[in-house]
Amino acid sequence: MLTGTVVNYYTHCQRQCWLFYHKINLEDNSEDVRVGKIMHELKKQDKDEIALEGIKLDKLTAEYVVEIKKSDADLAAARAQLEFYLVVLHDKGVNRKGRLECLEKNKQSKSVHTLILTEEDIRDCKTQYQQIEEFLKQELPPPPIRKPTCKKCAYFEYCFI
Amino acid sequence: MGKSSDTRYIFSAGDLYQKDFSIAFRKEDGNFYIPIKDTRELYCFNDITLSTKLLQLLAKAGIVVHFFGYYENYIGTFYPKEQLLSGRLTVAQALAYEQNRLQIAGQIIKGIAKNTYFVLYHYYRHGKSELKDFLDWLRKDVSRLVDSVGNIKQLLRIEGEIWARFYQSFRVFLPESFAMNKRVKRPPDNPINALISFGNTLLYTKTITQIFHTHLNQTISFLHEPAERRFSLSLDLSEVFKPVLVCKTIFDCVNNRKIMVEKHFDKKLNYALLNELGRKVFIEAFEERLNQTFEHQTLRRRCSYKQAIRLDGYKLIKHILEGKNFVPFCMEDKK
Ligand code: SF4
Repeated sequence: MLTGTVVNYYTHCQRQCWLFYHKINLEDNSEDVRVGKIMHELKKQDKDEIALEGIKLDKLTAEYVVEIKKSDADLAAARAQLEFYLVVLHDKGVNRKGRLECLEKNKQSKSVHTLILTEEDIRDCKTQYQQIEEFLKQELPPPPIRKPTCKKCAYFEYCFI
Repeated sequence: MGKSSDTRYIFSAGDLYQKDFSIAFRKEDGNFYIPIKDTRELYCFNDITLSTKLLQLLAKAGIVVHFFGYYENYIGTFYPKEQLLSGRLTVAQALAYEQNRLQIAGQIIKGIAKNTYFVLYHYYRHGKSELKDFLDWLRKDVSRLVDSVGNIKQLLRIEGEIWARFYQSFRVFLPESFAMNKRVKRPPDNPINALISFGNTLLYTKTITQIFHTHLNQTISFLHEPAERRFSLSLDLSEVFKPVLVCKTIFDCVNNRKIMVEKHFDKKLNYALLNELGRKVFIEAFEERLNQTFEHQTLRRRCSYKQAIRLDGYKLIKHILEGKNFVPFCMEDKK
């Protein structure tokens, strides 16, 4: 089953997407991230996260589905993830606009992006999701293609060893 | 990459417990806190009591704990259950064992020969010409022998010969009090055997921790029989690192008189075991070596020897999952 993260990764890097989907999910090297996760786990105080099949929403308002990202490093991937949420909700009869908030603004001129999907957009998305599902059935992940973001990717060592 | 040690050693007796999301250690002369941050591995060398609640924290934090008994004997490892697992990889690993065992095991033997060569060549270059025959054999014959065998038993015989000749060669460059007559494992009967056993066990546990951070199944091994121990794969992957991590640490400690028979071994036990001070000195030297970094030739990044162990795990995954040739760490090639 597809998830928001899988769709995000597919847009970012197909190899990353395949590895993640097949649970070769490498640890984040950052100690801060790790400690944060442990605390969260131990406290078990789930924040207002809403989790449905394949989607975990940061916020749902009367008008928007809000997705919050730390930075705008890969906006296209973040957008694809939000689109996915909108499509899943649409199928459940919940229609919302998307709102992407980037806490750090490095590449783009604005930090809040709004997304409105037309029926046609939704059809296009669904065709793409079918393609992703087909892609994930492949026996092998696609070979790594080195790009600038690889250096920061958790898979870097695995990809280029 | 290239951060310093994330390993904590506990040498005194005491209680380990959880306090405010960190690990607390109560011993005779006071309380100590071990932060979760930057701690991935604990070694307990004394009588330790601990609670389920602490184990829960350790499990969540993915901290691996190794326990040792009074006589440096390895008791076991607390292996957090929340490990990385991939069903697809586990199946592929079992298949690789079925279809490719001999080839993977052969690469490990070749790796041992290469790293042994690297270590001994240093002494040869400094005038120990007696080593020439063995060096030639390692360089020229081992690889050919490995390629000609038809089963694991024959491979293990080659491995046995490499270690036997390697240990024999110690007398060429180590002081007489540390020369090796015969390798005795359990219990070691002289100082050099004690150092090798202790060093190999430390390396084995280090490898367990590194593999914990990969998706490999620790029981499916290639050179050793699967499930020979619970962590057979660690036996496999630690082999090529023995000459460059364990033996180099020993040579450094002995030749630079950091470790001496009278001072660092237990007299009551006929110097067949390190005493507490000796253990500390050895561990410190070993940790230093593990955390030393080098420029990794494939990744073009700095990388510590400890991380190189994990990278060998990644290489194995890549072989299993994507068919890339598995070539373990080679000291000369730095990759
Ligand atoms: S390192 Fe590069 S190629 Fe590999 S998964 Fe990450 S982004 Fe993709």
